[in-house]
Amino acid sequence: MMKTDLTTKIGKLEFRNPVTVASGTFGTKDEYSCFLDYEKLGAIITKTITVKPRAGNSMPRICETAGGMLNAIGLQNKGLDDFLENKIPFFSKIKTPLIVNIAGETTQDFKTLTQALDRQKKVVRALELNLSCPNVEAGGAGHMKKRERILEVIKVVRDHTDLALFAKLSPELGDVLEIARDVIKAGVSGLSLINTLKGMAIDIERRRPQLANVTGGLSGPAIKPVALRYVYEIKKELDVPVIASGGITTYRDALEFLMAGADLLAVGTANFINPQATIHILQGIQDYCKKHGIKQLDEIRGISCLAKNN
Amino acid sequence: MPYDQSFTIEENTKVNAKYYRLTFRAAHLSEAVEPGQFLTLQINPSLDPFWRRPFSYYRIQKDRIQILYEVLGRGTAMLSRKKKGDTVQVMGPLGRPFSPKVKNKKRVLVAGGVGVPPLIFLAEKYAADYLLIGTKSSAEVLPKKELAKIKAEILYSTNDGSYGSKGFVTKLLEQVIKKELPENIFIQTCGPNIMMEAVMKMALQWGIEGELSVDKPMACGVGACLGCMVKTSDGWKASCVEGPVFNFKDIDLATTLS
Repeated sequence: MMKTDLTTKIGKLEFRNPVTVASGTFGTKDEYSCFLDYEKLGAIITKTITVKPRAGNSMPRICETAGGMLNAIGLQNKGLDDFLENKIPFFSKIKTPLIVNIAGETTQDFKTLTQALDRQKKVVRALELNLSCPNVEAGGAGHMKKRERILEVIKVVRDHTDLALFAKLSPELGDVLEIARDVIKAGVSGLSLINTLKGMAIDIERRRPQLANVTGGLSGPAIKPVALRYVYEIKKELDVPVIASGGITTYRDALEFLMAGADLLAVGTANFINPQATIHILQGIQDYCKKHGIKQLDEIRGISCLAKNN
Repeated sequence: MPYDQSFTIEENTKVNAKYYRLTFRAAHLSEAVEPGQFLTLQINPSLDPFWRRPFSYYRIQKDRIQILYEVLGRGTAMLSRKKKGDTVQVMGPLGRPFSPKVKNKKRVLVAGGVGVPPLIFLAEKYAADYLLIGTKSSAEVLPKKELAKIKAEILYSTNDGSYGSKGFVTKLLEQVIKKELPENIFIQTCGPNIMMEAVMKMALQWGIEGELSVDKPMACGVGACLGCMVKTSDGWKASCVEGPVFNFKDIDLATTLS
């Protein structure tokens, strides 16, 4: 029997398969290259890049929870110049499409990032706008919660590039369906659903919050049902490409998101606990398709949205 | 280069009141390992506990690897119940090791708790002048068999005085410093933060050079999550790839061991 064609298209972009990595969970360059061949992935999404380097939040910044973890890293990264100088050359040698996640404290920051990355079109294939980081005051969800600010950022970014744009949203922002309609109108090509959910944990021996930042973003299997619900609801209502993320850990999780309509499947926190999670998921999808005689992924993509009992 | 593979447990036994010893065979994971490096174990495929747990390498004989661990929480409690024949996923070797050479100085190792295994490994592989071990009582002192291959003078201190000298391990360190003179000493330490903080303060006071191995909450082990950062004179560093061993003079004591 033939191998299933896993090719996934979003607009003019073509991905050899739908499996990618969620921003912030796959390092900034080659951290996982000793465990897997990056060219086997459908796409690579970078950790958030900001204009200036960011030191991030105080320690401790991570905490294990039941079926997941909290993080309050605070967008630590070495900034745009370092990305252009040290990361772009590495990714230019890899055929896998690169999606660069960006965040700014101001609309001007987003513009600066967009202009610089638009000049790297041979390597950068799309931008993901981080509009919902729960861990930073400016530029994160707190600042961006104002709907007008989000829409302003999208318009400015759209005006300065013809790269595909994905808006990364979180239920923390409010009514996701309503925001989705607005950001699509403002010019994004697709959505990334969902970012982490804000939570906390307390150390009962020290009697204080586990994280120095008090709260952090919850990720991992614990949030999968929530993420799946949003992907499903959006795909049922809107004709928009979606990069799904939120606890995708096994091929079964990946297939659930696919059946909810996801276009790309971003494996996140699972990379931390299994460096080969993406490859195992990819293999699992192949095996499932083979077993069920599926020739193309579109045969099952979004199939759950069509079920009669909905 | 690190590898990630599953292995079968050969032995998982209680050594004394404090430690369990886990033995397994894994060819790639035992190649070119240096004392101070670590591996991470996925204790259950069911993802409870969710994170992998980091452990220092304790002993390597050909492809046989041993770790010596304390039961400190849910994860290590679950690990202690694993039986011969069970499989566990493991990734390693990870991190930067202790310096194998200490110039012409006397190598003084100061260990406590989870810091004892990597320093025994170091003392077996490269020899040391002193291995100072601090513990609560004689029940936690390692059996002679575990210490037989160490090329160093081993001195124990116990809090209750039931074995070795009574008091904290820093009391032993002070005696060694006075005997050998600070300028002739290089300290390598691993153990509870409170112990390492006392050791580092003593080293600073006497102007002694040295290295410590830090233990931070760690999710990925490969420098991707940026959760285990340590503040250094050269900015924040991920302790999983740029540590866990750092030079005394490079780290910010207040934020690293608090």
